[in-house]
Amino acid sequence: MQTRVPLLICLVFGIIMFLQYFSAHPVARAIYQTVTNDWWQVIFAFTLIVGVAGYARITLKKLGQGRDVPYSLVALGGLVLMPVLALIGGTKINSPFMWAFENMLAPMQATVFSLLAFFVASASFRGFRARSIPATILLLTALIVLIGRLPLAEMISQYLPKATFWIKDYPSMAARRAILIGIGLGSMATALRVILGIERTYLKGE
Amino acid sequence: MITLKTRWLIFSGLFIIVTLSYILKISMVSQPSPQVEKSFDYLETLPESTIIMVSFDHEASALPEIQPISLALLRHAFKNNLRIVGLSLFAEGTAIGYRLLNKTAGELGKKYGQDYVFLGFKPQHIAAILGMGESIKDVFPEDYIGNRSDTIPLMMSVSNYDDIDIVISFADGDRTVYWIEYAGPRYGQQVMAGLTAAMITSYDPYLASGQLYSVVGGLRGAAEYENLLGKTGKGNRSMPAQTSAHLYVIALIIAGNIIYFRNRSRQGRG
Repeated sequence: MQTRVPLLICLVFGIIMFLQYFSAHPVARAIYQTVTNDWWQVIFAFTLIVGVAGYARITLKKLGQGRDVPYSLVALGGLVLMPVLALIGGTKINSPFMWAFENMLAPMQATVFSLLAFFVASASFRGFRARSIPATILLLTALIVLIGRLPLAEMISQYLPKATFWIKDYPSMAARRAILIGIGLGSMATALRVILGIERTYLKGE
Repeated sequence: MITLKTRWLIFSGLFIIVTLSYILKISMVSQPSPQVEKSFDYLETLPESTIIMVSFDHEASALPEIQPISLALLRHAFKNNLRIVGLSLFAEGTAIGYRLLNKTAGELGKKYGQDYVFLGFKPQHIAAILGMGESIKDVFPEDYIGNRSDTIPLMMSVSNYDDIDIVISFADGDRTVYWIEYAGPRYGQQVMAGLTAAMITSYDPYLASGQLYSVVGGLRGAAEYENLLGKTGKGNRSMPAQTSAHLYVIALIIAGNIIYFRNRSRQGRG
């Protein structure tokens, strides 16, 4: 029973959502709108609750064990503070919630992202080595693209930007397309397996 | 093995170079790329009062790169008297989007509700994109500041994607892909993107297939767009810093390889 009901729900909704795509009938449209506008949002809200509860449980467990205490306190503080601010003053512009977002979260994210530049600089010095023929090809390609995207590239040679676009439009594009087609076929196969109940790993829990 | 001292030297070098680039105010003009020209020409040729949708689908971390692109495109759209329906499918893009729309609208004397509107954030981006194909007002019954959507003058002439000429998605990740894959085939919605430089190649297959109309990518894209618009901004101001950082990285790669080959030849002799 525990397995059959979710499998049945999955099968029914999978088939309905697949079939409605090919129909312009008002009933099909109404089902589609109800599922996307209402049900989907409600399910998402519940997944958020599960996520927050899971995160809080793991962090509290860490605190109990005395591991990463300062980080866990900050994480829990943020987890509690933002919803409290939203409940007190809403989430609209000029609310305390948006103040915290703009003056705490945004600068912290920008700071972490900015640090990437330093790590890229350090990694380029120690990691980008012509150790083998494939590594040398990769290195030369990266250098051509890097230089070709600079505004100074045209001053060095008119062929540099052209070479950059050629690399982007042919070898890189071919690889990307192969990956995308693979992802597409894989998604279709997985969707079919889930709808037909062959793929059941999502029912197993921990 | 890289020592701590070397790492600090590398970090300090980058800091000094980027700081100097901002202080010295070097001017760099680059030729507009075909993609930037295509984006500019599209907005330039749209008739006045055409409604476009602008979606701020990025995190705050990408702001230094995305903001110059969005400012340039928004200024261009308002300058040509296009009407804008703004929204965000990324919670963090919400406040940013609202602020940028208000800023650019203020510069060109545009009125909220008539020339532009900001609908705010909707979770579950796929559901939101699909839902707007049927009815935008059902997905966003209220705008960001709490007005009912059906009472806003601009929204009275907007029902679904049929009334939107193009969607411009500013993204630092794959969210534009969902616009392309869900709003494109099902509703025939045209999509343009403003992307961080790192994401441009991910969208090349969509550009080549015509599923994505055009891309303005990275700081360079922003600078090129600003030059076409004839109003220099953050894109142009930031180009020397980005260029010098790139040159620094190239120099580090070359230096790292020189050291590597020197050490290898020494070991070979030893």
